Formats: sequence, structure tokens, C-alpha cells
Amino acid sequence: MPILGKKSDMPDGAADPRVRAERRRKLNWRPWLRALHRDIGYFAVGLTVVYAASGLAVNHLKDWDPNFKQVNRTHQLGLPLPADDDAAAKSALAALNVREAPREVYRASDTQLDLVFDQRTFHVDTKSGVVHEEGQAARPLLRVANWLHLNRGKKAWTYVADFYAVFLLFLAFSGLFMIPGRKGLLGRGAIVALLGAAVPVVYVLLSGGP
Amino acid sequence: MNRFNPEFEEALARRRFIQAAAGGTVIMALGSFYVLSDDLTREAKAQTRSDGRPRLPPGQRVIEALKPMGGEPGDPSPGNYRLRVHGEVEAPFELGFAELLALPQTEQALDVHCVTTWSVLGAKWQGVRVADLAERAKLKKSARYVIFEAAHGYTSNVALRDALKPTVMVAHRLNGSPLVRAHGAPVRAVLPEFYFWKSAKWLTGIRFSDHDEPGYWETRGYSNHADPWKEERYA
Repeated sequence: MPILGKKSDMPDGAADPRVRAERRRKLNWRPWLRALHRDIGYFAVGLTVVYAASGLAVNHLKDWDPNFKQVNRTHQLGLPLPADDDAAAKSALAALNVREAPREVYRASDTQLDLVFDQRTFHVDTKSGVVHEEGQAARPLLRVANWLHLNRGKKAWTYVADFYAVFLLFLAFSGLFMIPGRKGLLGRGAIVALLGAAVPVVYVLLSGGP
Repeated sequence: MNRFNPEFEEALARRRFIQAAAGGTVIMALGSFYVLSDDLTREAKAQTRSDGRPRLPPGQRVIEALKPMGGEPGDPSPGNYRLRVHGEVEAPFELGFAELLALPQTEQALDVHCVTTWSVLGAKWQGVRVADLAERAKLKKSARYVIFEAAHGYTSNVALRDALKPTVMVAHRLNGSPLVRAHGAPVRAVLPEFYFWKSAKWLTGIRFSDHDEPGYWETRGYSNHADPWKEERYA
């Protein structure tokens, strides 16, 4: 008959220093893992934003230009234009109400005068007076993000991207062990992780692969 | 049955949701079918090239004008422009924009096919044949491949026999107008028999090589050969 409140006579395992050390060792790694996961996660936020935003942008290249907004306009000038190229350029720009000075005035052919600016070019047909204005204006943040994502910058970025990839691997694997489930890795975590891993496998199988 | 039963109302709401979702899916699917079966594409699919191949490569859809597909732009200034022809040649040379315009010109209506599945048919390109530039440079017998060099280190590569075809050119005008910045002004390569990434924009050089050198996209998972009729999109 059990007696409530009576302490068992069995020896307390925790009294053994080796057992206590073993328990401490077993118990202490998870907070460290969580702390590392959290801090590396904080560190990776900026890079994740760059890669995710750019990834979405360049995934849809056929639908839009993720780097530039395009400018394409046609204007009509009064004729005749002055015969001298510089005078013709000055006259055309005055008529188009452009105050910026061109970085180049180039006679491309008998009838074509190109006025080149940093962001746009005016192709002036000196015979018909038709001006085709074309250019592109950079999308400020996305262009930089795409430049980094596609590794078109200096080689040093390769090292940053490599570290980021290693960090992502750490985040993925440490995430598996951060919070112990009742069944450990064999419960819900395993099912969800397998589902995630199955996505590329099923895609490759269904699509026929490379 | 009690029509004010909350469970019944919930089931009814769920049914309405499922009906709306199914309807939306059908409309989207039909819309996609409509988009995919546009007139330009249908007409092109019915045509055959002189070499017996279909005019429209598999998996392509016809659009009316080139789309800007990005890339790091080069200097659009014709005054600063230099084209370097070099490598496995006896007489390497450089050309300015005016010198390029002074060479014998070719104007051809060509079809181009982007790896992202759009095609533009019959656009009029004007420029200088690569074969003419190669002849002027006097190719060595060791020349086997051609590397198109562009701004910021972009390159694309093709076999010499493909680069010397009469339709391959360095172009500076499109449909009667000067090439615009988004499409590689002032000069780009045009290689209509390959996916369009081979047609390097902001072209700065043509290098003849005794060995193949996969270019920018070719080293990033895209096909080295890039034949649209074989759908060689990826390596």
C-alpha cells in the first residue's frame, strides 16, 4: 500500500556527479542552438530581403524589366533645323524644353543627329524633324539587389554569398532541433520536413528533369 | 431540416466558397488558353521555313516587339564606341561607330527567339555581317569558335561556322530606327538561329578562338548550343 508523502528509499541518481554532468551536457546544447539560430537569423535578414526581392523580380523577366523603367517617346520639331550640328542640337533641345546639356552630340548619318545624355538619347531626324527619345531609368533598390543577386559585382561578393549560403544551411538544420517535439524528429517535424524535401523531387520527376 | 442551423449555414458558406474557387480556376484556365492561342502565334505555327523547320520553334509565343530583358548596360555613346575584332586572326582591328557605318551594310528581316518563350518575327535589323568582319580580320586556320564580348564582361559563344552564316550580324538599327539603349545601343550582335541571349547587347568585341569558352549564361546553367528548334534552353 503506497504511503502518500513518503520519500522512496531508492538512491537518487542525480546525487551521482557523473549523472548530473551528463544531464547538464544533454540539456545545455539546445539553448545555445536557439541563441545561434536567432542571432544568425537576425544577421541574415538583410541578405534574405535582397535575395528574395531580387529572386521574385528576376523570376519574371519575361513580364517586366526588373532593373529599369523604359522611356520611349516621339516628338516633332519645327523645320528647318540649323545646318550646324551644335546649333541644331541647341535648337532641338530648346524646342523640347530640355535644359540639361548633352554629354555628346553625334552626327550618325546625313539625316540623323544623336543627342546623348546620361539616362536618355534623342535621335533627331534632321530632315523630317521627328525626334525619338529613348532611355531607361534605373529602379533604385531592385537594380542594386539584382546586381548583387546575379553576382555581377566585384568578386568579393562571392565570399559574402558563400557565407550567406552556409548561414542558410545552418538555419535550416538548426531549425530542425530547436524545439524538441514529443516524438523528437519522428513526429510532425519529420512529416513537414519530408513534405518540403519532396517538392523538388516530385517536380523533377514530373517535369522529366534537366 | 432547420435552415437557421449554424452548422448548415457554415456548410452552405463552404459550398459557396468551393463553387467560387472552382469557377475562378476555370475562368483562369480558359484565360490562359486564350492567351496561349493568340492569332500571331497560331499564324506562325502554320508557317514553315525554307529549311523545312517550323517558323516558330517549340514552346515559343509570338509578340509584336522586343522586350527589354535586363543586363548591365554599356556606354550608349556612339562617339565613344569601339568594336575590337581580335583573337585567332592575322589582322586584328578596331572600329569606331562611324567606321562601322561606313562598311557594307546588310538589312534583313529576321526572327528572334528568347529563351523565356517569346519570339519576335520579321523584325528588320541593319548592320554589318560578322562574316565580313572575319574576312577583313583574316582568320587563322586555328579559329574554331567566336566569343562575342560585351560591356561589363558579358560574353556569349558560338561555333565559327554558325557565326559566319549570312544572317549573323552586328546590328545598329532595328525597324528603321537606331537601336535603343534597352536593346544594346549603339551596337549589338544578332544571331537569329540561337536563343537570344547569344545575341550580346552593348557589343564591344568579337574574339575568334581556337577553343570553346562558355559565356555568361552558358556558365550559369543555360545550354551551350542554345538551338531553339531543339529547345536547348538549359544545360
